[in-house]
Amino acid sequence: MNGPGTIDLHMHTLLSDGTDTPEQVLQRVREAGMTLFSVTDHDSVQSSRLLPPLLLEGDPGFLPGVEFSCRDELGKYHILGYGYAPDGPAIGAVVEKGHGLRMKKVRARLAFLADAFGFSFPEAEVDALLSLNNPGKPHIGNLMVQHGYAPSKEEAIRNYIDKLRLPNEYIRPEEAIEGILQSGGIPVLAHPAYGSGDQLILGEEMDSRIRRLMDFGLQGLEAYYSGFTDKLRRQILSFAERYGLYVTAGSDYHGANKLVQLGDTGLSGAADYPAGLLRFLNAAHTRTIRR
Amino acid sequence: MEQTIISLNGRIDSNNAPKVEQEIFARLAGQEAGPVVLDAENLEYISSAGLRVILRLKKTHPDLSIVHVNSEVYEILDMTGFTEMMTVEKAYRVVSVEGCEEIGRGANGTIYRIDQDNVVKVYNNADALSDIQHEREVAKLALVLGIPTAISYDVVRVGASYGSVFELLNARSFSKILATEPEKMDWCVTEYVRMLKTIHGTLVPEGKLPDMKQTALDWARFLQAHLPEGPGRKLLAMVEAIPHDDHMIHGDYHTKNLELQNDEVLLIDMDTLSVGHPIFELAYMYNAFQGFSEMDHEIIKAFQGFDYETGAAFWRKSLAAYLGTNNQRKIREVEDKARILGYARMIRRSIRRHMTDTEAGRAEVAHWTEELLDLLERYDTLLFQPNELELEAVTENLEEVQSFVEDHLEASDCALKARTQIGVAVEEIFVNIANYAYHPQKGNATVRVEVSEKPVCVTITFLDHGVPYDPLAKDDPDVTLSAQERDIGGLGIFMTKQLMDDVAYTYKDGQNILTLKKNL
Repeated sequence: MNGPGTIDLHMHTLLSDGTDTPEQVLQRVREAGMTLFSVTDHDSVQSSRLLPPLLLEGDPGFLPGVEFSCRDELGKYHILGYGYAPDGPAIGAVVEKGHGLRMKKVRARLAFLADAFGFSFPEAEVDALLSLNNPGKPHIGNLMVQHGYAPSKEEAIRNYIDKLRLPNEYIRPEEAIEGILQSGGIPVLAHPAYGSGDQLILGEEMDSRIRRLMDFGLQGLEAYYSGFTDKLRRQILSFAERYGLYVTAGSDYHGANKLVQLGDTGLSGAADYPAGLLRFLNAAHTRTIRR
Repeated sequence: MEQTIISLNGRIDSNNAPKVEQEIFARLAGQEAGPVVLDAENLEYISSAGLRVILRLKKTHPDLSIVHVNSEVYEILDMTGFTEMMTVEKAYRVVSVEGCEEIGRGANGTIYRIDQDNVVKVYNNADALSDIQHEREVAKLALVLGIPTAISYDVVRVGASYGSVFELLNARSFSKILATEPEKMDWCVTEYVRMLKTIHGTLVPEGKLPDMKQTALDWARFLQAHLPEGPGRKLLAMVEAIPHDDHMIHGDYHTKNLELQNDEVLLIDMDTLSVGHPIFELAYMYNAFQGFSEMDHEIIKAFQGFDYETGAAFWRKSLAAYLGTNNQRKIREVEDKARILGYARMIRRSIRRHMTDTEAGRAEVAHWTEELLDLLERYDTLLFQPNELELEAVTENLEEVQSFVEDHLEASDCALKARTQIGVAVEEIFVNIANYAYHPQKGNATVRVEVSEKPVCVTITFLDHGVPYDPLAKDDPDVTLSAQERDIGGLGIFMTKQLMDDVAYTYKDGQNILTLKKNL
């Protein structure tokens, strides 16, 4: 599937909800013969510090990446950031805020489960949960299944965890975009047709979203994505062209957690790269780390 | 290769998509990548997480289809382009037509009103999905080409067959209007003919619609075994001689298929849309209003809701308006040609449907055959020119020629003065032919009237097979001479030359051809 010269700019590792370590992802990227890759863990920039020392001569170029889960009154968004300075304080502050909110939520959920249903977990396991980079509902759900409180993760979430409504405290899209920009990165809207992953946003709604995010400084759209049909891709490419935005390509590989193949972006070969993608690669060139 | 059918249930969203995906791939594990059918009968909703599951499945199992999809899920699949990349079959709503008013009936189905705003066309054959698709496509084509029609928006199940649903608000068919408000007959004729001319004036891109000539050739071929050899061959030759024509014909143009919706006239029942010469259309029309009911006048009543006399009057008036003349000879000629094809079709239909098993059926086929044989003896072509009248060149027919020309001038805002002048010229020429062309025998003459728009000009052509004679070759009479000194004759042609803008004569293919031109 992956011919020479393929790229994949949207992958997850154990640092968020993937199942591969950064080393394993690097190994797979090497085997696939890619020329450029990026690891975009949710609300985490750790991969951009961990991976550069692992690169060997002849390895594909590595573009620091991140995927922020954002929300405002008008909806949910996943904002990708590429080529930022890994220790930039502005992007660090966004990560901190996200992490802080997440921890706060996990603690609130654990307290709720104990309070409302009497579910309790050994301290060591709670510590392990809290020490994860991005613990969330699925991790708590798994824990509940292990302790026999629910037959499956899905039921744990639906019947127990989701009974608690948490106040809406999120990273706002303008905060994420601003942080990425201030740290020298390129903000890109992930899978624009799917919102934060499970919505369907098309036509005028997508248009108004893109224009609103452009006001905040958005620079690109992920038009090539493993979950897109030709029709969706065409629509996003036409928006990118209309607004002069960059185009990126990513699979959303999650290791064993999803059946997405690494490198499956819908992009066939370098000959088919649209102008927006070529411009992105040009802009990313100086921000790419190579050995 | 064995196909695998997998049922999808309830909702598929981000909560359960991974689980659904694992289940699907577990089912398919260890199998070859054969055809996979997702049965969505119990699938209520699918989110984009679910769509991605299907997309990944499509990547590993390219021969993937989804069936029994409800309309909400179908809309999502359509918007996101899934319907472009795999077979997606909708689930069909079930509709009952019990007790519903029948508002139309065509060759392939019956139309019922299911509520105030909607009608359903129920197809006769149980496996009608491709027919429905065809009708939808031709209706869309007709709409694009400028024919007002209704396009179906939904396919439903009606009992064991399928139906397509159209929006038709407060509409009444022309049949119903004729049956309940006979005083509107002339209005109906005008609108019916206006639509007919629109249809016949519409050029269809090549290959988009079937050619009616092929169908008519089938009729003629079928009748070879039924008719005596001579007439049978003549019929086939007459159909073969009809030139190919890319103009549209409806193929089932009767008053049940014309609806008045508010102030708009809509054509419905488009599945028989074809291309071809208008004579094919007229044949179907004749059958609908007369042919089928010739032996049993109750048939039209059951079908159209009005009686045989109303049908006959409507047909005659419509044909006159269509041809632009009240000339009975002309109307009869075209009707006869329509009857030739009409009978051919009905005879074949009766024989093929074993209607000749009954006494009544045999009597009907015998009657049609007798009429057909008589017509085949009298006509050599199925073509007709609405603006051409052939009749015996005798002075008794002058009045008919005059009124035929008048009919055509009426249609073009011709001033009274010019009309009078044309009348004088027509009289001079026709009387000349009547008196001299075949003398002392008798023969036919043809009068052709053409009105052109730019520049506005009338051309009248007289054709006869009489002795070659050029009336223009004669010197103009010396009108300065006194009455006693002048030659008798020659004055008529002189007047004609004065009144018309151009008069020309040629002799071609054994015919005298005299042309009069008058600018208006």
